Amino acid sequence: MRRSASPLHDRPHTRRLDQVDPYLLIATLLLIGYGLVMTYAVTVESRTLTGDPMQFVIRGAVWAAIGVAVMATVAMFDYAWLGTFAPLLYLLTLGLLAVVLVIGTSSLGAQRSVNFGGLSFQFSEVAKVLMIVVLAKFFADRIDQIGSPVTVVGALAFLGPAVYLVYRQPDLGTSLVFVAIFFGMAFMAGARLWQLVGMVAVAGASFPLIWGLLKPYQQGRLLAFLDPYADPQGAGWNIIQSLIAVGSGGPTGKGLTAGTQSPLGYLPIAESDFVFAGLAEDLGFVGAVILFALYILLLLAALRIAFRARDSFGMLLASGVVAMLVFQILVNVGMAISLMPVTGIPLPFISHGGSSLVSICFALGVLQSVSMRRTGPELG
Amino acid sequence: MRSTAREFVRPNRFIAMAIAIVVVFTGLTVRLWDLQVVSGAHYRDLAEQNRVLRLPVEAERGTIVDRNGKVLARNLPGFAVTVIPVDVPRGKQEELAQRLSPLVARKPADVFNAIDVQRARNPYEPVKISLRPVARDVALLLTERGEMFPGVRVEAESIRSYADAVLYSPLLGYVGPVTEEEFASLREHGYLQTDLIGRTGLEFQYEQYLRGQYGWREIERDAAQREIKQLAYSSPTTGNSVVLTIDDRLQKLIEAELKKGVDEDKFTQAVGIAMNPQNGEILAMYSNPGYDNNWFINGITPEQMAQLNGDDRHPLVNKAIGEIYPPGSTFKMVTGLSALNEGVANRNTIVNVTSNVLNVGGYNFYDWRAHGTLDFVNGFAHSSDIYFYTLGGGNPNTGRAGVGPEAIYKYGSDLGFGRKTGIDLPGEANGIMPSPAWKLTAFEEPWTIGNTYHESIGQGFVAVTPLQLLNAYSIVANGGTFYQPHLLKEVVDPQGRVVFTRQPNVVRKVNIKPENLTLLREGARRVVTIGHAYMPNAKLPIAGKTGTAEFGSAAGKDTAGRNKLGFHNWFVSFLPKADNTDPTADIAMVIFTFDSSRSLCENCFNPAVGMTQRILEAYKLGTP
Repeated sequence: MRRSASPLHDRPHTRRLDQVDPYLLIATLLLIGYGLVMTYAVTVESRTLTGDPMQFVIRGAVWAAIGVAVMATVAMFDYAWLGTFAPLLYLLTLGLLAVVLVIGTSSLGAQRSVNFGGLSFQFSEVAKVLMIVVLAKFFADRIDQIGSPVTVVGALAFLGPAVYLVYRQPDLGTSLVFVAIFFGMAFMAGARLWQLVGMVAVAGASFPLIWGLLKPYQQGRLLAFLDPYADPQGAGWNIIQSLIAVGSGGPTGKGLTAGTQSPLGYLPIAESDFVFAGLAEDLGFVGAVILFALYILLLLAALRIAFRARDSFGMLLASGVVAMLVFQILVNVGMAISLMPVTGIPLPFISHGGSSLVSICFALGVLQSVSMRRTGPELG
Repeated sequence: MRSTAREFVRPNRFIAMAIAIVVVFTGLTVRLWDLQVVSGAHYRDLAEQNRVLRLPVEAERGTIVDRNGKVLARNLPGFAVTVIPVDVPRGKQEELAQRLSPLVARKPADVFNAIDVQRARNPYEPVKISLRPVARDVALLLTERGEMFPGVRVEAESIRSYADAVLYSPLLGYVGPVTEEEFASLREHGYLQTDLIGRTGLEFQYEQYLRGQYGWREIERDAAQREIKQLAYSSPTTGNSVVLTIDDRLQKLIEAELKKGVDEDKFTQAVGIAMNPQNGEILAMYSNPGYDNNWFINGITPEQMAQLNGDDRHPLVNKAIGEIYPPGSTFKMVTGLSALNEGVANRNTIVNVTSNVLNVGGYNFYDWRAHGTLDFVNGFAHSSDIYFYTLGGGNPNTGRAGVGPEAIYKYGSDLGFGRKTGIDLPGEANGIMPSPAWKLTAFEEPWTIGNTYHESIGQGFVAVTPLQLLNAYSIVANGGTFYQPHLLKEVVDPQGRVVFTRQPNVVRKVNIKPENLTLLREGARRVVTIGHAYMPNAKLPIAGKTGTAEFGSAAGKDTAGRNKLGFHNWFVSFLPKADNTDPTADIAMVIFTFDSSRSLCENCFNPAVGMTQRILEAYKLGTP
């Protein structure tokens, strides 16, 4: 087993500020700004109700500032430190998820957040990023035996407890994000395709078993996805109202805050799960395509960082982040336009929520760290 | 070597990942294009439908008033409970039905079904759950505890209210809920599922005038179906008022006489109609038994319905136009006019009624007495049956010819018998004006002279509605013009402007010589002065003709315990301006008592005569 480099054993790699990825940075800042604008737009009604006009926007801006600070700070450190502390981070991940289950606050029937100091933290958002680090370390250390089923199954063994804890909250959507991260990273690490395809096939074959494990509301959401109009007042309501919001936005939208579906309450969880529907209603096809363009810029920049990474650990870190973001965007937007079943996955940058934003900023800080250290000192 | 150091980078997988990213966003973009650009307008409509609800604002129905403005049908304020199914979550419908049930006095299952039916039809439209207006405190409860009653709305509604309900019900009819089948065709005319529509009588006849123009209001509502604000409002327009030709004072004078007779069990049913012969205006129309049409407005109970259906006098039928009866001797007018106009008789035509029996072909045809020698006027005045047998069918014993059934049919039809008068009321009967051809068709038997004799005195096959009889005498009274009887005088809009005035409608000028009509008027006057309908202390120059038709059993009781007395009594009259034969009468009246005894007063043979005298004297000479 070849251990990846660690600052504890090796000299830290040179930090090169000129190698900060400008595309990733620009895309990140623009998306954070876009997110603040949408927070403003979809909370118009709540703001007038609470009598605190900018409450949500200010809170969002504070989180954005924290996120940018975290990103900058993380970028300063050599990402190799993460590899060094990966075992601890893994324990931290499981610990955070266990804490949620034990003392988490219930909301909409699920224990997903922990309240601390008047703020609510979604530890599973943090756990996703930490899990990327853990898997990157795991795969990087075994990059030579990546073709072995033992490697893939071993990674799954690390992943399993985290997925289970998230699923128990219950948060099926986020546990699927973990699975997507795993597949994305295993793929980029070079795992044999037949092993990955085989796992998907096994999962598909055991679907009837999984179906039985699902909660009734989860089954209802899946059925509603297949036919929203079977129960338009019940399980299909969210899907139908979301489609109406998106479709009614038309090519150019109704104008920021001029949408009706979200402020009148037809869109559930309009600032988070269904934020894309509100965006598409207000800003239309044009607004959505601009968002997509920023995402593509961000993802391709992240992919380039992975491609140019100094080592397999950095490459896998970036790959994991790409996999996580692509999956979340696909599921969240897909849900709003009825291409995906309803799950409570936030839309990166756009959904209002500090934990999600700071976690992503942390991950992007790591990517910048990878980018800045892509040309290490020539060894030998 | 750097190349070997970087073998962890697999370019193909990077390409695959990049392609996956592009595919994901292309897929999302294509789907968005389809939703937003291709189907944008459709979803915009749906969003508007979500957000904007157009609610109808009901317009008040117009009033119905008599010719002097006395209100006969008005609207009183009340509250209706409606439910918009889309606002009722399916899971809560059962609970809601349970809660509403006692408040609207319906079974929970009925409430539940009503919501279900509307949900299937159009869940965005309200369905009325209350069958009758609810009390104010119920309305308040429903609005104040809105969270317990999702989708429930309380709306002000006006309830139709009929003054003198029983008196006017045969005329006015009533309004009732639109039925499922009707709604299909009515909705394009702006009717709502919850609407009332004129079901019968004048409410039905003049629906087009009485129904108001509904307004609407558009409200914005949130997902919890709370009204956020009103976006637009179009005010309703109250329906027009219908002014009738009816004179309430005369109507009540007729009621006073006829209702007393029924109440005292002197006869079981009665009809009184008055009309202006100069233009066809109906001044009064009374039919006893009537019914309380307010019952239908408030939601008739099964007990009330059973009571109406169980009455074998059929209270729901307006006897003035909807039932047919033998006209008895009143029909001698037709026989007489036929004979006069065809030249078979004139005022000096003499018939010697030496016996009260005329034997023809082995059959006896009776008169009520042996009158002696009669000319036309005296024959009519004393209502001699044999005189009119002779005019109608002739006398085979002496070889004298009568005018015959074909001519009677011709003049009878000309005078309006056997066909609807076309009065502006639903439910008018045709009556029967028989002829030999008719009998051949109806009975496959040839006409006999006996048929002619019976017809000549208004018995046998001939059957008339009281209105037809009145109409025929009005033609005589006005000198030969068949004015269509009508109840509508004018239509007045809510601002008091007359928007429609009913003009007299001349159906035809009858083909009878004026001098023959004059002779008949003279005869009719003689009926009162010297004849069959003698009026003591008469203050008005009333002319008229009695009729008594025998029918069925003259003994026993009917199912309701009323005496069966076996006779119908008619008195059809008109009142000339002066005691002459000029065609100047401005009022003609028919009084008809059903199943009465032959004689109810000492000085007359017919109860209708005395009633007519009292009514007309009170109406013409009394203070309005």
